[in-house]
Amino acid sequence: MALLEVADLDAGYGDLQILEGVDLIVDDGEYVTIVGPNGAGKSTVMKSIFGLTAYMGGAVEFDDEGIHGYRPEDIIRTGIGYVPQNDNVFPSLSVKENLEMGAYILDEVPEDRMRRIYDRFPILEERKSQKAGTMSGGQQQMLAMGRALMLEPDLLMLDEPSAGLAPDLVDDMFDRIDEINDDGTAILLVEQNAKEALRRCDRGYVLVQGQNRYEDSGDALLADDQVRQDFLGG
Amino acid sequence: MSTGSGQGRFSNVTAQDVVGGLLLLGIAVLILDLIRLVVTGGLPLGRLWAYVWNGIVDSLYIGLAAIGLSMTYSILRFANFSHGDLVTTGAFSGWTAAYLVGGLGVAELSSRLLLRADGGAQPGSVGMDVLSAPLAIVVGLIVAAIITIGVALAIDRLVYKRLRDAGGIPLLIASVGVALALRYLIAFFYTTETRGVVASAPQPEAPGFLPMETINLHEATLVISALTLILGIHLLLQYTKLGKSMRAMSDNKDLALITGIPTERVIFATWVIGSGLAGVAGYLIVLDRGQITINLGWFLLLLIFAAVILGGIGSIYGALAGSLVIGLTINLSLVWIPADMNEIAAFTLMILVLIFKPDGLFGGVETA
Repeated sequence: MALLEVADLDAGYGDLQILEGVDLIVDDGEYVTIVGPNGAGKSTVMKSIFGLTAYMGGAVEFDDEGIHGYRPEDIIRTGIGYVPQNDNVFPSLSVKENLEMGAYILDEVPEDRMRRIYDRFPILEERKSQKAGTMSGGQQQMLAMGRALMLEPDLLMLDEPSAGLAPDLVDDMFDRIDEINDDGTAILLVEQNAKEALRRCDRGYVLVQGQNRYEDSGDALLADDQVRQDFLGG
Repeated sequence: MSTGSGQGRFSNVTAQDVVGGLLLLGIAVLILDLIRLVVTGGLPLGRLWAYVWNGIVDSLYIGLAAIGLSMTYSILRFANFSHGDLVTTGAFSGWTAAYLVGGLGVAELSSRLLLRADGGAQPGSVGMDVLSAPLAIVVGLIVAAIITIGVALAIDRLVYKRLRDAGGIPLLIASVGVALALRYLIAFFYTTETRGVVASAPQPEAPGFLPMETINLHEATLVISALTLILGIHLLLQYTKLGKSMRAMSDNKDLALITGIPTERVIFATWVIGSGLAGVAGYLIVLDRGQITINLGWFLLLLIFAAVILGGIGSIYGALAGSLVIGLTINLSLVWIPADMNEIAAFTLMILVLIFKPDGLFGGVETA
């Protein structure tokens, strides 16, 4: 059964339409990736699911609940976590405070979840009193993921988590996403690093000019000559 | 191209470094001159101490007001020019309440309600000092905060909320309008007359360990209230969920939104705290100076802005440090220049520091 179902979504910024009739499905526990050229509207899909763009038509359902028009704090409550691409930590707050903010909508900070996040990302526990803004890009990315995981979402949306990371950290980042997915969290991933993303995911979508172009299993998309030539650089 | 090597060994020295060096040199010269004056007896130690003490007192009420200005800047993203008139609002509303309570049965209701706009209800005869009317003074302090908060929330609802996403400049211009409207609304009721509303401060003898002979109890009230509030704000920001979410929102409003922080509620809290402190500051200034005027906050606003900018705009701890610098500067400059020109020193210092460090003294180390 579909966990997230986006149907015929039109959205954009102001009067400018970016997405035209985008369809997207993520099943329970599935790992789905969206690839496509720059400006295809990949990030816009995530922002639109989160209600951060101008809605122009279509439907977004999560857990059979229409979430269009919900405030971000209510969307979080339904079980979607979102890690935006840039500026995804609070730089002047400590690592621990950043994680606490991730659990803002709960009455109390769930210590057991914080424990699990520290186990998953030991560097965060080591640096828990350090200001987030003083950490490296890779560490900030882990912190941003950790913050989103504080609510143990059913679906985690990651916008280019490998952007700006040193090459040897990129693999590590993908491994960690695999681990999160293995623990049962569905993943929706937007990536520039399309080949690696398609290799790792269950299914992929190729988005071009705000429209669905291809949709198949990751391996099938990787094997498709047309897709390879047009979007994966041969 | 070989221009880089041709510029000699001073090619790395920028105008900022030059200004910074001159600034430090200037400060060093002034400190040496200060020592010379003290050693030669040109400046009695007692007077130096008085300047420093007045500087600390001034910096505390400037600081109280600066916290609010800094908060509205970092969380609502605009320079609020009506902040000074919130200080004035606190002064008038608080002292009205103090007169209503303290002057009960002593003076005409109308004189008390309009804060002696008619010249009645002499502060001395009403007994308006902390020893004769402690209850009235405390009630006034609380009412100053409450009314100022109410006015600020009403203005936010009527004006700023509608412009929330319009950007900093429309909000700034709107706030200038709000400042004028607020000030003349106050003048409409209270007149533009400057008048004394506080009886002279009780001055008991100081205990031996203090460097002064007597304690001005009104000044002491100001210092203790301000320090308590500043400590309270610090604890709130560092250790409470609300405080942390305020810091988070001042870091990154969009991220706060997608993290589930209810941004409108944080904005509400920002107004409550910022304007409450501004109102209390206005009330305490009048307690210290003894006089009230509708230009109180407006004239103070430049100094508040100077403190906030000096500390690195948007940082509350920076604003407090900036207030201390401004407070000490306007008072210590009296060693060399006449009193009616001392604010020149504060603004000159601010301009020089900004050329030297454009992000302010604490820019880049955002704390809240």
